[in-house]
Amino acid sequence: MNSSPQASPSGSDRGAASDIAEHARPTTAESIISLRGVRKTYFRGKEPIHVLQDLDLEVPVGGYEALMGPSGSGKSTLLNLIAGLDRPSAGSLLVAGADLGAMSDSQLARWRANTIGFIFQAYNLMPVLTAVENVELPLLLTKLSASERKRRAQTALRIVGLEDRMHHYPRQLSGGQEQRVAIARAIVNDPQVLVADEPTGDLDRQSADEILTLLERMNRELHKTIIMVTHDPAAAERAHITRRLNKGQLI
Amino acid sequence: MIPIAYNLRSLAVRRTTTLASVLGIGLVVFVLAGALMLSAGIKQTLGRSGKSDIAIVLRKGSDAEMASSIESPTLGLILSAPGVKKDASGSPLGIGELLIVATMDKIGVDGVSNVQIRGVPEQVGRFRKGLQIVDGRAAQPGTDEVIIGQRLRGRFKGLDLGQSFDLRKNRPAKVVGVFAYEGSSHESEIWADIDTVRQAFGRAGLFSSVRVQLSSPSQFDAFEAVIEGDKALGLDALREDRYYEKQSEGTSIFVTGLGVVIAVIFSIGAMIGAMITMYASIASRSREIGTLRALGFSRPAIMISFLLEALALALSGGLLGIALSLCLGTVRFSMMNFASWSEIVFSFSPTPGILLSALVFAGLMGLFGGLFPALRATRISPLSAMRD
Amino acid sequence: MRLSSLSVRNVWRNRLRALLTVLGIAVAIVAFVLLRTVLSAWTVGAEASAKDRLGTRNKVTFVVPLPKRYIETIRQVPGVVDASYASWFGGKDPRHENEFFASMAVETKTLFSVFDELVVPPADRERWLNNRKGALVGDVLAKKLGWKVGDTVTLQGSIYPGDWQFQIEGIYSSTRKVVDRSSFFFHWDYLNDSLPEGSPQRDRIGWVTTRIRDPLQAGAISQAIDRAFDEQEIQTLTMSERAMNLSFLGMVSAVLKAIDLVSLVILFIMMLILGNTIAMSTRERTREFGVMRAIGFLPHHIALAVLIEAIVIGGLGGGLGLVLSYPLVERGMGRFIEENMGSFFPYFRISEGTAVAALVLALLLGLSAGLLPAYRAARLNVIDSLRRAG
Repeated sequence: MNSSPQASPSGSDRGAASDIAEHARPTTAESIISLRGVRKTYFRGKEPIHVLQDLDLEVPVGGYEALMGPSGSGKSTLLNLIAGLDRPSAGSLLVAGADLGAMSDSQLARWRANTIGFIFQAYNLMPVLTAVENVELPLLLTKLSASERKRRAQTALRIVGLEDRMHHYPRQLSGGQEQRVAIARAIVNDPQVLVADEPTGDLDRQSADEILTLLERMNRELHKTIIMVTHDPAAAERAHITRRLNKGQLI
Repeated sequence: MIPIAYNLRSLAVRRTTTLASVLGIGLVVFVLAGALMLSAGIKQTLGRSGKSDIAIVLRKGSDAEMASSIESPTLGLILSAPGVKKDASGSPLGIGELLIVATMDKIGVDGVSNVQIRGVPEQVGRFRKGLQIVDGRAAQPGTDEVIIGQRLRGRFKGLDLGQSFDLRKNRPAKVVGVFAYEGSSHESEIWADIDTVRQAFGRAGLFSSVRVQLSSPSQFDAFEAVIEGDKALGLDALREDRYYEKQSEGTSIFVTGLGVVIAVIFSIGAMIGAMITMYASIASRSREIGTLRALGFSRPAIMISFLLEALALALSGGLLGIALSLCLGTVRFSMMNFASWSEIVFSFSPTPGILLSALVFAGLMGLFGGLFPALRATRISPLSAMRD
Repeated sequence: MRLSSLSVRNVWRNRLRALLTVLGIAVAIVAFVLLRTVLSAWTVGAEASAKDRLGTRNKVTFVVPLPKRYIETIRQVPGVVDASYASWFGGKDPRHENEFFASMAVETKTLFSVFDELVVPPADRERWLNNRKGALVGDVLAKKLGWKVGDTVTLQGSIYPGDWQFQIEGIYSSTRKVVDRSSFFFHWDYLNDSLPEGSPQRDRIGWVTTRIRDPLQAGAISQAIDRAFDEQEIQTLTMSERAMNLSFLGMVSAVLKAIDLVSLVILFIMMLILGNTIAMSTRERTREFGVMRAIGFLPHHIALAVLIEAIVIGGLGGGLGLVLSYPLVERGMGRFIEENMGSFFPYFRISEGTAVAALVLALLLGLSAGLLPAYRAARLNVIDSLRRAG
């Protein structure tokens, strides 16, 4: 039994690409993220809760934006929408040329694998995998050969400065190191957009600064568009723009 | 002490896991109780067949009536032995019978099985007072009419009221009645006229066994001394209850043995299941346990609390298993009795002792399965309350 | 690295639980193998019975024997190569009251041509054939009761009352594993000549065993034999050795069915243990699955990862159980049972079929125990599982 996901039927990637192309629509050349009139409503029982209301947002290619706001303001929901984890209740949502609102779950999954790099507050590394294996994980979804996957994972670890910790397990790393492994995992498949959910929330000041510097490099040197939700004003300061959300609206 | 409601609720929270463990333990208890109930049923059926104030006389060296033969004239000698009770008219209470094992076609499954045919004399009712015709009528003495035990009904071709079967070629026997006999193994027999059986099976002038009613159970020794004292007769005397006990020994040991071996192996599995559940339950509650410790509950209190949780888990399984096993009450289990090579129908008979021991068994499984996890729980530090 | 190695490593993540689960499955497999072996040991006699042998006995009851002259008629039936008769003696050694063994009076001159699987040293065979009071005993029985060639043995008869003396002249073993090696054979002539003139037991034989030329003709020849006695005072029932053994199995069919049922219950218990473990470990990893889904893994990847984990545990447990079964079932119980219950279970060994079935079932059960947790894990809502701590 070949359990490797890269064994999925050949051509699926091409399929995904054409799916995405179908849902593409013309955008302003410099916007990679474009939200128009986006609304998100959850239901608690029968009672609707409007988390996001008529939200408009344009993020240029290569942008680095921070989202701030009190808890319950909808910033995580907004991040989930941009990352293709969720679909808007109304309005249009274009990210990297794809109309996310019109895509199926599996189309979204394939799209995420190609387009989005995730960075979480709790790092979320697989404890049973070594650093290099954790970085390699997203590459299992590609058709790359085992040696090529390994080479790319090592390159990504070198970029975040952890080539000497390659074979350590997450529990053998410090929080800052774990987050750097997570960043390596986020960039290993060369996505256009990085979404970071409180990437420094669990870190001390010094590690937090290192992570922020690293994100800055990702933005500047690798031209990744970064959307970062944070509570930390020092983190927000590093972004090009800080947007504030309150009660589901940008202010 | 930590209230047991705390444990019960946490069992309820982990519904699937709890249910899986309860079901596992329940099945183990079911198998154990089932085997014990069957074994008790075998002993009961054969035990009911025997009484301590009846003596049975067989050919020396014969373990079973089937393999024994006694010449007709010997009957008078046996009846005149001391200790034999006499009826109002002064004649001794005793009976000579001829037992044959016949091959019959089974109904429902393709195959044959052995059934015992008992040839009884005309005045059988005088000795065998427990006999009760439950359907049809008694057989006409001196004819080829037979009556069958109620447990045989519908299990063999030709064995039901109004039907007939061949004793030998061109000699059909007609079933005219169905009898009950105090739930004993006689209910798996066919009863025919002794002369019919003698003729049909070429056993002229022979009995298989002679039974006598003793005037009291204590008279047995005197009776035995006279019967076995006469070496020329070559006979053995046994108490009837002891005889049937020996008959059931092989079969019931086999069932009990197999049942217990299986239950013990199973219980290891079930204990492991309970252990897994308890470890998981404790691991996911280390913060809670730490808080309890921080609040001032002692290690023994924690230990007891988790042992009780394991016990509750196991006892619910035990009750489930017992409930399942009680459903076996209506099942008739037909199997060969190794001593007579013929089929006897047994039922599962639940006794309070069996149910109690099954429950105790479940409780022990819970306690042993919960011991190590509970010990681990006591080692959780109050500091766990503070950690994430 | 592959997705499957992630699963395999996750198995080992909670070592205690993995160990307990593997052990639990191993125990269940041991119980399963034991029960299946009881079943197969019971049926092995029927399955391995000689195809070219028929048995003839009284149609109505095995308690009443056949007239001896029947043997001549049977030998005349076309297709019959040879026939040998025997009577059940049912004796006991008074020094070993509780040891049951089969004792039979046999026709000596035809015994070895009909039962060609019996192996006796030629010298022993000669001596036994020439000594009217000689006995031929199975090696298992001889070992158990401590008999040697040359010993004098007294058996107490029940069907044939009295004390009977024999000299052990030979010890047999068998080329076929399923033959009862605890039987006691002696000369039928010795038995018959010792009975008083006019005894109803004289010149009677318990049954006749026939060797036939063509096993395919077994049915026709059986009918021909029975037809020959149709108008006689005692009718016969002739069956192939296999059919005879099967009809014995029919008498214990309820026990066999119960054992069968219990072995199914074991499988179910095993599935509960395994399913429980898998369900717990997937629940603890909800968040990891959420991360994988976010990264772009599809629900079927997650399901596959869970299933592989379940199958690995099932396979480990099955393998360990099988390894434990051999010493426990064969060395421990098998030897005891073959020696003490040889007439019911002459060959108590784990069959290849049982071993393979145990392993395959362990894997299949792993698979089915993993189905529900896999389904649940695959259906997790990505956002919810990312949010959930631990």
